[in-house]
Amino acid sequence: MSDKKLNNIDESNVVVDQEQTADNNEVQAEQTELQKKNFFASVGSGIANIGKTVWRWIKRAFMGGDKELSEKDKFNVENIESPLKQMTKEFFRRKIAVVALVVLVCMFAFVFIGPLFVPMDVNYTDTLQQNIAPNYTMMKVPNALKNDIKSISSFSNFSVGLSNSGKMYIWGDTKLRLAGVDLADFPEEIKDDNVAFVSAGKDHIVAITKEGKVVAWGANSNGQYGHTTAIGAVEMPEELISGTIDPSQVSQLVCGYQVTAIVMKDGSVYVWGNGGTVKNLAEIAQMTNVAKIEFSTATAMAILKDGTFTTGSKDYFTSVVSSVNGTSSSLSGYLNGREVIDVVAADYSIALLLDGNELVMSGVFENNEDKIPQLPEGEYFTQIDAGTRHYVGVTNKGNCYGWGHSFYGQAGFDPDSGASKVFAGAMQTYVVNESDDLIATHGLKGYLMGTDGSGRDIFTRIVHGGKMTMTVGAVAVIVSSIIAIIIGCLSGYFGGWVDMLLMRITEIFASIPFLPFAMMLSLVIRNYPVDETTRIVIIMVMLGLLSWTGLARMIRGQVLAEREKEFVIAAKAMGIKESRIAFKHILPNVISVILVSMTLSFAGCLLTESSLSYLGFGVQQPQPTWGNMLNGANNSIVIQNYWWQWLFPSIFLALATISINVIGDTLRDVLDPKSTLDK
Amino acid sequence: MARYIIKRILYILLVFIILSFLVFAIYNMIPNDKAAAQARAEVAANKNLKYEERYLYWQRTYGLDGNLFQRYFRWLGLYPYTAVDGSVGALNGMLQGNLGSSIDNGRPVADLIKEPMKNTIFMNIFATVLALGITIPLGIFCAVKRGSRRDVVVQIGTIVGYSMPVFIVAILFIWLFAVVLGIFPVSGMETPGNNFTGFRAFLDRMYCMALPLIVMTFCSLGGMTRYVRASMIEALSLDCIRTARAKGVKESVVIYSHAWRNALIPIVTLVIGWFLSIFSGSIMIENIFAYNGIGKVYFTALRNSDNEVVLALQMFYIFIALAGNLVVDLAYGFIDPRIRVSK
Repeated sequence: MSDKKLNNIDESNVVVDQEQTADNNEVQAEQTELQKKNFFASVGSGIANIGKTVWRWIKRAFMGGDKELSEKDKFNVENIESPLKQMTKEFFRRKIAVVALVVLVCMFAFVFIGPLFVPMDVNYTDTLQQNIAPNYTMMKVPNALKNDIKSISSFSNFSVGLSNSGKMYIWGDTKLRLAGVDLADFPEEIKDDNVAFVSAGKDHIVAITKEGKVVAWGANSNGQYGHTTAIGAVEMPEELISGTIDPSQVSQLVCGYQVTAIVMKDGSVYVWGNGGTVKNLAEIAQMTNVAKIEFSTATAMAILKDGTFTTGSKDYFTSVVSSVNGTSSSLSGYLNGREVIDVVAADYSIALLLDGNELVMSGVFENNEDKIPQLPEGEYFTQIDAGTRHYVGVTNKGNCYGWGHSFYGQAGFDPDSGASKVFAGAMQTYVVNESDDLIATHGLKGYLMGTDGSGRDIFTRIVHGGKMTMTVGAVAVIVSSIIAIIIGCLSGYFGGWVDMLLMRITEIFASIPFLPFAMMLSLVIRNYPVDETTRIVIIMVMLGLLSWTGLARMIRGQVLAEREKEFVIAAKAMGIKESRIAFKHILPNVISVILVSMTLSFAGCLLTESSLSYLGFGVQQPQPTWGNMLNGANNSIVIQNYWWQWLFPSIFLALATISINVIGDTLRDVLDPKSTLDK
Repeated sequence: MARYIIKRILYILLVFIILSFLVFAIYNMIPNDKAAAQARAEVAANKNLKYEERYLYWQRTYGLDGNLFQRYFRWLGLYPYTAVDGSVGALNGMLQGNLGSSIDNGRPVADLIKEPMKNTIFMNIFATVLALGITIPLGIFCAVKRGSRRDVVVQIGTIVGYSMPVFIVAILFIWLFAVVLGIFPVSGMETPGNNFTGFRAFLDRMYCMALPLIVMTFCSLGGMTRYVRASMIEALSLDCIRTARAKGVKESVVIYSHAWRNALIPIVTLVIGWFLSIFSGSIMIENIFAYNGIGKVYFTALRNSDNEVVLALQMFYIFIALAGNLVVDLAYGFIDPRIRVSK
């Protein structure tokens, strides 16, 4: 069996030989034709010609020769299979290799088609969405609560809900891994049906029970509750820690980033928490006669009983966009004594509901928060709420509108009718009707693979990072193959001093220690003002320039063997140019070896790119690659607590390189006639 | 043989000069003028000084005057500095032991890398011994039992092993051994706050080095096992093996005496080359485990734009790579007479 195969290979060479003579006549005829045409036509047909040639090589490699042969030759042709065709057959007999091929094809589809479906905002970060574990429960209101909603409160990655009977529910990512606390483990003071008020902050929850006890739990590193020694914190009032308050006199309980406020019906307030983040916290804590308190990420604000809006002695909000009068430059000037009915705050902006059914937006608008929806005549907002970056409001006609950031659909929905109340989570919208039934939810359900330390979705970054990693790897391989083919062919074919010179150059390049050298080049690039795209292109070329040597040597060896064969002598005898023989006659015969080496060096390039990026010398953040996504995992806190941040990129990178290597290895195995002989 | 050795050494020297010049030229592309910065600082402090004069002074002191070639040879130690008064000064370059100084306290580079160098060599020797101790028996076993189920399993294992980037292996092992099992410390050179002495200190050091060592060894298993297996298979298909078997020599003698000796030729060269190549490979490991070695120094210098340290260490890496090439060439020459004849 195997002897027969070897014979076949020899015979196929004879056929190839004949073809080449035919090809050659054909191309010469084309050339005379070309001279008549103008320049552009010749360039165009030149490209077409290259395309045709490459196609012919590939076709010949897999399908065998397609030329009409004489009657006598036909007899020989019947048993002939081209080496590559044999190789393909042999390849598909190996199960592991086929599995690897399927994995690789799926992965290519995933990273090159995926980005079309999963859009990514490269510069997006969100401190409130940091380090969230993979889950899909962030908008999953418990069934028992669905028809009995009194309130829903949420500031970041978890939400708390309260039923009319006073039972408390929690959903979302409730584990605080650094503090080692699970917020879903309620303190023993919280029993069924005894909660009067509840509100959620960034990493703590505060509840007031029907007995008047103020219960708080969660992280407590910055004075979120209880006695504290944290710098800049406003401590929780002693009467709340040890005593009780009258829950019937409480008008509002609200939590912010790491801060909490309780407003009593007589206008007095209890305010405490992280004063380092919310700068005017202490000032708000001294206020009396307060109707409502609201927190944005870095500011506290209050509405007094006379309808005045205040942020204390300093005005934190200036710009104004109104639903009625357009824009204005000063909030205090615009309000000018008008009565403020309600205020809600997002991350860096606020919405005010004024008398006369006017809605006013103020602050920094990064996500179209100022694009207040145009309501039909006679319709106006009666209740509003704000998430991290979006706003929702219910009108007097019972329609619910949303505006602002809508990446997860939390604001860009068609108006829901029949609404009476709306609650906004961080990235969610919960619409509730008059009988306290949940009628619609919009927004972020959760993250398939969690989020990283900057609040970015890891799944999205894996899709886009894979595209970058694969592109860098592929371009580097193409660059290195082109160099290797030229140098290998010339050196192998011409021999003598050309070979000597080129091989010495190859040796010099081969002895460059790769990783340190690439890191140093990266340092040099860093000193020049180049944009990220140019940097990436430079990295691709750099990888290619440093990794062609092995392939060049291999091609040289193959060409050396090929050039002794008869068809080369025949070509020479016909007076064909030497460079033409090297590239058009010999090269197609070594293309299988080149393909195998390219596969293996593709895996190599993926590894080097990701190593460089991992060390911070390749593609830089925020542009993701599988390598630099793991950069953040370089400490034990992340490795221990946030397993999803390193596990998923690692799996993808390892799967890609393993399957490429398996494919390349199998190809090399099936290509080597010796190894098939033995089996 | 002597002629061959001399030829190789001369050739390697030539390559070193070309490569080091290349690196020096690239290094000079960094827009960083030490003399100008120094002169500007002086003029800012003392208005009486003339910038041009001070600039020339510092240029000559640092050896930054002249064209690229002059600077290069001066840096090598083959071209003299210009003395401050303009006359020909002394030679003071690499050959004289001056590797430049770090921006960190102006410490000389030679001084800075002494301790890390010891650490790196120490760890690399250990890793080599460990890796060889595992891969050689494993490779021989796979070659002898070629095609068996166990061989296939090991083959798949080695592909997985050499396809995994070092940092992923490191993260996995930190997670497994340091976080979940808690056997080894996550990083560092010694247990914090200890005051061990003598043998106890050595044990503590080994304990802290264990995890990086395991990762390093694990990462080299895949490639080396395949290499040993391949060369052993090659050796087993030689005619002399068939003859030995035909003569009724015991199978163990055939494998360990006849075949193994033939397989040794490529393996010896591999070991030498590999030992030298892990110097640049350990950059990653040393950084992940905060191990005070050459790689960490290089990385920190790159981060801080400590250019002279970068240049000196880059030369060190090139030197190591070329020395490796030379040793491999010579070893080949000693072992295989055909090579020194043909060259």
